[in-house]
Amino acid sequence: MTFETYEWIRAAAFTGAGLSVGLSAIGAAIGEGYTAGKANQAVSYRPNLSGEILRTMLVGQAVAETAGIFGLVIAMMLLFSPAEGHSILTAWAYLGAGLAMGLSAIGSGVGSGLPAGSACEGIGRQPGMANKLNTLMLIGSGVSQSPAIFGFLIALLLLFKPLPDTMALIPAFSLLASGLCMGFGAIGPGIGDGIVAGNAVTGAARNPETLSILTRTMLVGQAVTESTAIYALVVALLLSLNT
Amino acid sequence: MEELGRIHQLIVPMFGYEMTFNLTSLVMTWIVILLLLAFGYLAARYRQLIPGPVQVVGEMFVFQFYSITEDALGEKMAKTYAPLITALFIFLLTCNWIGVIPLMEEPTKDLNLPLGLGVLGFFIAHYAGIKAKGLKEYSKAYVEPFVFMAPLNIIGELAKVVSISFRLFGNIMGGSIIILVVTYLVFNMILPPFLYAFFGLFIGAIQAFVFTMLTLVYIAVQVN
Repeated sequence: MTFETYEWIRAAAFTGAGLSVGLSAIGAAIGEGYTAGKANQAVSYRPNLSGEILRTMLVGQAVAETAGIFGLVIAMMLLFSPAEGHSILTAWAYLGAGLAMGLSAIGSGVGSGLPAGSACEGIGRQPGMANKLNTLMLIGSGVSQSPAIFGFLIALLLLFKPLPDTMALIPAFSLLASGLCMGFGAIGPGIGDGIVAGNAVTGAARNPETLSILTRTMLVGQAVTESTAIYALVVALLLSLNT
Repeated sequence: MEELGRIHQLIVPMFGYEMTFNLTSLVMTWIVILLLLAFGYLAARYRQLIPGPVQVVGEMFVFQFYSITEDALGEKMAKTYAPLITALFIFLLTCNWIGVIPLMEEPTKDLNLPLGLGVLGFFIAHYAGIKAKGLKEYSKAYVEPFVFMAPLNIIGELAKVVSISFRLFGNIMGGSIIILVVTYLVFNMILPPFLYAFFGLFIGAIQAFVFTMLTLVYIAVQVN
């Protein structure tokens, strides 16, 4: 039984879409669940602040969902991408795009949930600082998402890259490896960034005067934590340029 | 479903190259600018001691963002950078919210606008850093911890621009794609208004704030 080229490309696009949205859902769901859990704990200590805590929880969850939304966007693009008249290499690029987006969203989803959870807890401790804690939480979660955004970038690059018409083993595998490299490289930095941001928010809630120095220390720490994701990005770019 | 990914473009040939204009984003950006000019005129032109409703909204924006900028940069620099930060937030908020109105589209859905603003923030942050610390102290940050880490530090700085602009673009475009697909699947019944409220108003406001705050803290990191 033999298949046409466009059938292979379709099959790869569907597999990539499944990987993208399925894997990215793991991280986002854990992150959001962690936030909601911490919010429940905080409400049990401070029932009179439930409205404030609920608001912070929703904002934090909306930010943590970003990684899942990126996965969904790539999945939609893969599902509606044209298959006719493309070379068989496109199939490998689509698989790589799905893997890059899906795997990279795991870490960032978990990571951006951590500061949101800490912010809910912190507002229970220091109700007067709610606005400042929310701001710090948004900055921290936003930066924790950078690895997923690098994955999104590589996925878009793989989706729209013009590819040569001939099938060869090495270009095919470098497209797949580009996705794998970015995907796996982004899991750790995503969670690590989240740990930094979560502890910064907890610290600011314990000792409000240190807010500005904590913000700076958090950003420097996150920049260093993220450097492994940047190595992965560089290698993934080099691999995808290899074709 | 054919609307997905269709862009109105104006392609102008120029000296053998082609200049491409994305017409929808251009027109929408100008509509946003005109709306903001009208808002500014109404809020500030007829100032009174007992403020009217528009003036209250304007004062709220200015006051909130002045105090946030002061927390991050100190009182002296807040005078220079607070107008920029306030304007950036109001512009992005209007851009993200305008998609809720029928027949309008968010200009932030086009990567070029977030990328342009990201590059703007990048240059402003580095200018502020050089101005505050001097060129020698500023360039010292690149050779830490060792001299041969300099290329990776530079890539790290450029990655900030990528991450800040793709975050906004991905969220807004993702929201509009989800709205389009779900609206198509439920035959335009019941769900779409709630989706617009969540993705347009809620996520739009959060992402506008995140973009503004990240621009501000990137300036703060360079300055301190």
